Amino acid sequence: MNPIGINDILLITPFLALFLTSIIPITIKVLRGNAEQPAAATLIQGLGGLLATFVLMMIVSGAGKTAFMNTLVFDRTTTWMSLIALGSAAMAILMMYDNPATSGHQFSELIFLALNSTLGMLILISATDLLTVFIGLEIMSLALYMMIGMSHEQKLSKEAAFKYFILGSFASAIFLYGISFVFGSAGSTYLIDLVQKTPELVATNKLFIFGITMVILGFCFKVSIAPFHAWTPDVYQGAPTPHTAFMATAVKTVSFAAFLRILGARPLIGNENIFDFLQWLAVITMIVGNVAAILQNNFKRMLAYSSISNSGYILVGLITAGVSDNFQEISGTVMFYLFSYSAMTLGAFAIVNLIEKNENSSVMIDDLAGYAKKNPFLAFCLTLFLLSLAGIPPLIGFFGKFYLFTAAVGEGLIWLALWGVINSVISVYYYLRPVVVMYMKDGAHEAIEQPMNSSKSVVVITAFIVLVLGLISGPILQIFSGTF
Amino acid sequence: MILSAIVFLPLICAIVITFWPNKHTVRPLALGLSLIEFLLSISLLWKYNPDSASLQLVEKYPWISQYGINYFLGLDGLSLWLVLLTTFLVPIIILGAWHSIDQKIKGFHAAMFVLQTAMLGTFLAIDAIFFYLFWELSLVPMYFMVGIWGGPRRIYATIKFFIYTMAGSVLMLVAIIYMMFLTQESFGHMSASLLDFYKLQIPFVGGQFFSVQTLLFFAFAIAFAIKVPVFPFHTWLPDAHVEAPTPGSVILAGVMLKMGTYGFLRWVIPVFPEATEYWAWLFMLVGTIGIVYGALVAMIQPDIKKLVAYSSVSHMGYVLIGLFSLNHFGITGGLYQMLNHGISTGALFLLVGMIYERTHSREISKYGGIAAVVPLFTIAFFIMTLSSIAVPLTNGFIGEFFILLGAFKADVFFGSVAVSGVVLGAVYMLWMFKRVFFGPKGELASDAKHPLLDLSLREMVVLAPLIVLVFWMGLFPNQFLNYSKKSIDHLIVNQSNYELTVLENPAEKVYAQAPATEVTK
Repeated sequence: MNPIGINDILLITPFLALFLTSIIPITIKVLRGNAEQPAAATLIQGLGGLLATFVLMMIVSGAGKTAFMNTLVFDRTTTWMSLIALGSAAMAILMMYDNPATSGHQFSELIFLALNSTLGMLILISATDLLTVFIGLEIMSLALYMMIGMSHEQKLSKEAAFKYFILGSFASAIFLYGISFVFGSAGSTYLIDLVQKTPELVATNKLFIFGITMVILGFCFKVSIAPFHAWTPDVYQGAPTPHTAFMATAVKTVSFAAFLRILGARPLIGNENIFDFLQWLAVITMIVGNVAAILQNNFKRMLAYSSISNSGYILVGLITAGVSDNFQEISGTVMFYLFSYSAMTLGAFAIVNLIEKNENSSVMIDDLAGYAKKNPFLAFCLTLFLLSLAGIPPLIGFFGKFYLFTAAVGEGLIWLALWGVINSVISVYYYLRPVVVMYMKDGAHEAIEQPMNSSKSVVVITAFIVLVLGLISGPILQIFSGTF
Repeated sequence: MILSAIVFLPLICAIVITFWPNKHTVRPLALGLSLIEFLLSISLLWKYNPDSASLQLVEKYPWISQYGINYFLGLDGLSLWLVLLTTFLVPIIILGAWHSIDQKIKGFHAAMFVLQTAMLGTFLAIDAIFFYLFWELSLVPMYFMVGIWGGPRRIYATIKFFIYTMAGSVLMLVAIIYMMFLTQESFGHMSASLLDFYKLQIPFVGGQFFSVQTLLFFAFAIAFAIKVPVFPFHTWLPDAHVEAPTPGSVILAGVMLKMGTYGFLRWVIPVFPEATEYWAWLFMLVGTIGIVYGALVAMIQPDIKKLVAYSSVSHMGYVLIGLFSLNHFGITGGLYQMLNHGISTGALFLLVGMIYERTHSREISKYGGIAAVVPLFTIAFFIMTLSSIAVPLTNGFIGEFFILLGAFKADVFFGSVAVSGVVLGAVYMLWMFKRVFFGPKGELASDAKHPLLDLSLREMVVLAPLIVLVFWMGLFPNQFLNYSKKSIDHLIVNQSNYELTVLENPAEKVYAQAPATEVTK
């Protein structure tokens, strides 16, 4: 066995940087005698940490670079997925600075937890060993449970934290159980080893199939694939909006990244059953998410169901990548979809964040009446995000879907692509509802105009991404799929 | 550059109007900008070479190169007049909406210009994904136009319109993606260019629905059929028309419906020749049903606007049977009827809007005897009625005559049923005309408190170009048809292996001889 060398330490400098910055605000708080430093300073330290981490990640990563005996890999997927995760985390932190349920006292602790959750994400993205994946998953989730629980909102967020904790632990247990079966039958938990063994094992070894299915199911819980999605609406609604945005984008992105790596071990190619099973899950998820979203009156809950349906679309991409010969290229389209999805979802939640009056308020869709008159710019941006989520060109959401479905058609999964487009038509109905209410119904929108500049900057940044980056998506996709 | 300028100038106008500081000068500004756009598009008549069937004034730049998607604009005889119709109608609409749109003026004009970009892009894009982008984009401004400035049931109408149209077009998107993979198989590189789609030999099995070409054909055809709208898919149209504000109705009837028929002409008939030939009867059938059904339903409408809306269903049925006659007369007539319908139905919606502004009622039964009160309005309405029912000397006659000629040549049965639409058209239009303008004075005409005023100068200016065009197109159809003749000939002659070439040097007109690019059989 190789001893741990200086090279390993160098490669994980992004992780170290993130962890070290995460303890700055909390240390300062201790040194000041348990008094908060100005929240802006905490925010800047947090953002600086995320930026430094990304810069370091760009510097250290490269093709075939691995650390700690191949348990961590720093390839292109790691780089760009971490860009999405770090970017989403930065946006979420900006929103936390504004939100009454998260700002104020204990903001330093919150930033500490958020950055550590992000650290878990980076480990999760780069892990190539199932046990390391598990460690990343747990670091990420544990911080998140606490973040939700420490909200200033009294009732729903506590329920959400508890629900998320119980179901998350349950999912982790299933995942771990699956790993033990995989290890028992394949003799290894390294994905790199599994790539060679899987095709043979899934064809012959029932225990291995059981194990890998459990691993996949564990991820299905995490990324809220129906019928394992039931926690999502409650948690998304109950958690403070910035945390919801964080979960819906960063957490989901990295969970899908790890899911993608596991499918990269090719369990779908040798076994028709797992393949069929996942296909059906994708279709059911899309339908459940979209149909249930139609029935919602709470805006956050509607976005939660929209996020479930988006998991369905992304699962289509994952399946396509899992059965395709150009795994890398198609994982690029999945990454692009995650990127576009994160941008529009963050934008939509940032606007919810701006509308919320106090820590206990809930935003109903009908409350948006008159918003276009009161605040035309934000209403326009929200329209952009929703139309983009619905997949209307020329916004980025259309291109995300287009690449995803093109890849699916290219692999012969036309029926999945058909389900995808049919579902995007269904989704139009509920995505347009807030737009209808904002522009076409009269009402005195009561939102108090707060000088919430950091959330507004999130809106501006994401609106720019949604409006412009779709049109120049060709090169971006090339970068993501490594054909540049 | 001219085509890019024409397509994207309105988008720039929309941005300018959004940020224009002075609310009171928005209308003149919008009118001025739309006139500049119209003049710019008029210059196409000089730049365009009518002696070539090739694609002209082409602009092609790689856009998303790994999927072979290009920024690809081109003009030929099939799209030329539709482009001009669009740019011609927009200033008229803006002037016509001078008073009827009195709130959120900026938003309205911005939406109008975005819509114009989307429509022009749809007519000029030669790349499938680029085309799809404009096609879907056109829904958004129309959605807002109906939803914000529309009537009482506007929200229902606009959502129905949006979802109905989008449901059709996403299937087309899957078909486009599939065809992009077919180009990869056939030519070794993926391409979304329409010119490559034309070259594809898509396997076709007659009589078998689940064969590649048939499925692709229907995926495209249903998307366009919903937009046209063809008979069983027409239910969104009356709702959208009745609830839309006058300018929305005009642009919807005038141009947006033509996006569907243009789609058939550009994207269905030449791309899927075998399937088109095999299934032409189906479209002749639904077209004929549309003609008769639209006319019968129009007859019993109590609401003038709804009557005109159903007359659109009937007229678009004509266009459809014209196109699917697949002969020279039919397609020429279909193309001409698209323009006629844009002008006459557009004008009828404007006229209905004008009278609605005065009385706030569209119910036929409340009118009656207003001919004596508003003589000029009556004359204008009568001219448009004549054009709509295709009386000789008006433009409608030329279109319907060619279509029926083509239909009889293709199939005597459908031709003879379609002819009945001419009579039925006269019945519902003239009956409505009688009830509104003649007879004893109705409650609205005799209301002493609100005297009916005749056309104002602005309204005369709005209607004058339309009236001129009705007779111009009716008397000298060749001045218009000559520009499209080569393209239509090319389509008919090469129906089974249609290909379109790019005219390399559009600046040099070749008058003396037909260009070498043309293929004759």
